[in-house]
Amino acid sequence: MEPSRAAASTASSGRPRNALRPLSDFPAGLRVLVVDDDLTCLKIIDRMLRKCLYDVTVCSGAAAALAMLREKKGEFDLVLSDVYMPDMDGFKLLEHIGLEMDLPVIMMSADDGKDAVMKGVTHGACDYLIKPLSMEALKNIWQHVVRKRRNELKELEHSGSAEENDRKKRAPEEGDNASSGNEGSWKNVKRRRDEEGEVVVQEEVEEREDPSTLKKPRVVWSVDLHRQFVAAVNQLGVDKAVPKKILELMHVHGLTRENVASHLQKYRLYMRRVSVPQHQGRLDTPYTGSSEATFRSVDSFDGFDLHSLAVSSQLSPQSLTTLHSAPRRVTNTSIGMSSVDQMGFFNSSAQISNASNIRPPLMQQINKQQMNFPSGPSTSMESRQLGQSQQLIQSYGNMGLQASEGASVLLNLPSLLRTSTSFPGGSINANLSNSSVMQMTHRGQQFSLSQQRNQIHASMPQLPQTRGLILNGIAGEHDSRLPTTIGQILSNEVSSHISGRSGSNMNVDTSLPGGYMNASSYGAVSHALYADFPNSCMNESTGSCYPLARSVGATSLTSTAMPPVGDVEALGNSTGLRGAKDFVPNYDLFSELHQSKSQDWKLQNINVSYPSDQHLGSKQSNIAFGSPSLAHQDSSATVKDGSSRNTRTVRKEIFSVRTEIGHEKGERIAQRNRTILVENSVRLKSEGMSDPRYQDVLFDDNIIQNELMNVVGKKQQEGVVQVDPELNFDGYSLDNIPS
Amino acid sequence: MEYSSLQRQVAYMKKRLFDQGYLDEQFYQLEELQDEANPNFVEEVVTLFFRDSSRLMANIEQALEKCPQDFHRLDSFMHQLKGSTSSIGALRVKNECTQFREYCDEGNLDGCQRSFQKVKREHAVLKQKLKAYFQLLRQIGPTERATPPGG
Repeated sequence: MEPSRAAASTASSGRPRNALRPLSDFPAGLRVLVVDDDLTCLKIIDRMLRKCLYDVTVCSGAAAALAMLREKKGEFDLVLSDVYMPDMDGFKLLEHIGLEMDLPVIMMSADDGKDAVMKGVTHGACDYLIKPLSMEALKNIWQHVVRKRRNELKELEHSGSAEENDRKKRAPEEGDNASSGNEGSWKNVKRRRDEEGEVVVQEEVEEREDPSTLKKPRVVWSVDLHRQFVAAVNQLGVDKAVPKKILELMHVHGLTRENVASHLQKYRLYMRRVSVPQHQGRLDTPYTGSSEATFRSVDSFDGFDLHSLAVSSQLSPQSLTTLHSAPRRVTNTSIGMSSVDQMGFFNSSAQISNASNIRPPLMQQINKQQMNFPSGPSTSMESRQLGQSQQLIQSYGNMGLQASEGASVLLNLPSLLRTSTSFPGGSINANLSNSSVMQMTHRGQQFSLSQQRNQIHASMPQLPQTRGLILNGIAGEHDSRLPTTIGQILSNEVSSHISGRSGSNMNVDTSLPGGYMNASSYGAVSHALYADFPNSCMNESTGSCYPLARSVGATSLTSTAMPPVGDVEALGNSTGLRGAKDFVPNYDLFSELHQSKSQDWKLQNINVSYPSDQHLGSKQSNIAFGSPSLAHQDSSATVKDGSSRNTRTVRKEIFSVRTEIGHEKGERIAQRNRTILVENSVRLKSEGMSDPRYQDVLFDDNIIQNELMNVVGKKQQEGVVQVDPELNFDGYSLDNIPS
Repeated sequence: MEYSSLQRQVAYMKKRLFDQGYLDEQFYQLEELQDEANPNFVEEVVTLFFRDSSRLMANIEQALEKCPQDFHRLDSFMHQLKGSTSSIGALRVKNECTQFREYCDEGNLDGCQRSFQKVKREHAVLKQKLKAYFQLLRQIGPTERATPPGG
């Protein structure tokens, strides 16, 4: 009998997905984390799961569980959590996980009332089990892992459907992509990847043509894109905003109605979640000065946002209180965020990421800023965080702050800033949280994150798009490991989500001046965020930070060790999202973002950050995805060059991973980073992940990347790509992805 | 034969526990989790349960005394207790917990007090019975226990 890995504290648990088990064993070896404060239940469930041949880790506290998840990103496939827990509401944990790690979460409870179950559903739980649990119920939980991956792949597919043709053409399309602005970022990514490795092209084509592979690039809802989206929605009127019309208004080449529809859905959810109590309409936060401006822009959202924010926020009592204290702030934030959403997201993300790296200094700053937050975040942490975030936000621009504040408030920032891992996330989150955080936390965390990320990115010239990656980066930073998959996914997701979701997202777009975050701030943030990848992000110049493939991917290569992805996510998540508890803000942001159901962005990030070629080179060449991420090798260069090499290696890994996933073998995938599945479809696809060895995995690039990272990571433990800091997670910046 | 006699005794005892409603199907689930690698699983879980639940019940008792009007708190305590009692299949205790929660919902303090006494009683009775049961089981021996007769 395997010894039970109790993890009351952050004891190490979870197992890196080493290729210890043949895929054919699936679902055996499925890595499950069980969270329940009741030791009796914990013991029983542990035993039951072991009997199912799952790889179980138990945890008796939500906070400890979250810390563990963050620390070991990519080491779990599924989370089983009790609803009622003393230190944290199970649903909050659920949200956090969704945003930060995007893992399937199953809730358990003795409460079988309809309301309780409904709550589980609305919070995004994959399933809701009634206690007492039986073996039968637990035997099949692996299906959720598989389903999630499939859905992710599908999303990628859908989002990329329109782009398929473009991608095929590669070079000539460059121009086209450019015209579509950010929206085409993913295309660029894909393209880049293609360019990177010839094989990729080939594979990409193959994959694309094969409907079963579903390697559609994910649409990266970059800040700009989101801004356009939001503008279109506002123009049409919230009630009349239908995907078709929005699409028409946006004039974005390559964007499909489906993309818009799903984004709109997220956005709406986000708005609802983030809505802040009406009376908190005005933000008279200290930041007002600048925020004012931001708010203005948000006006359009005003009624809608606030309301939705208020409504959707579902702020916890504390947060509400906080909000009340700074009512205005909150509201504004939401509003501001809406417009800026994307920006916010991105910035936030970026910031967050940066934050992670620069944690100490940033934190302080943020803390200071927090202090400004008059109404005072409910908890001290919040204030601290807010303060910090404020600083960050400042950089963003008023909006950022506003958002953050709002976010913090909404989010109960305390948790936001409290990035467990690195602060940076926290601080960044703070900022982000303001904008994004708020949004995110409650539901729309995703948005917040995105916003934040965006913000962060915003400053970076090159990162126009919401850098989903950034988020990742941020998240990654957190652990600096960022499992590639996660981080990546998160970033992307976050970005996308953020736009839509976190209502609170700061309307960074509007308010924030061009680059939300000053490059400097951004840089800092990015650095902070990407502990590992900081350079990449920051170095490059901001823009490059996030090669999509990025660092996340690279980091994940080692899979075990790679936090990059995860970190980023963590960062992202924690930053804003948490609001509720003491979660690391970064994580919250990102996780939330990611979680936001937007499978879409997930994929993006996968960037399996292929750490410099060196590492990967040896491995399978398939891993082409390297292109984006690999680039990162030392300089933020995201991945351009080495990528091909790395990509190959990584690709191989990824393929295997992908294959598994793609084929729904579940097994592997489950074992791999879930995140990987996400995104990077773009990248991966282009890479042509068709690794003969592994069979084409359909995953989206991200997934593959993540997987790769995992796989690679594992394999290369020795020499692997150690999380290449350079790799930074710049998941979102597709632009940077060399293809 | 002594062995079979003991086994019969154990089987009989178990049957009574079920018939009298002290235990329910969930207990079977626990037994299924027991095997050669985990020969004392059921007993371990039950021991763990009684330890935790005793602590929880002490909390409830204290809450009933100190802040009896805090029904929300009482309810949440009881919710926890209910979760673990149902996990081991302690049917009677669970039913009393449910009753207690109903009184909490009504805000009926008196009802809560009475109900809690019942919970305590059932809890104590079950503890005794299971203690005797496991003692008997131990006499039978691990192999026998692994495949409880009439289980």
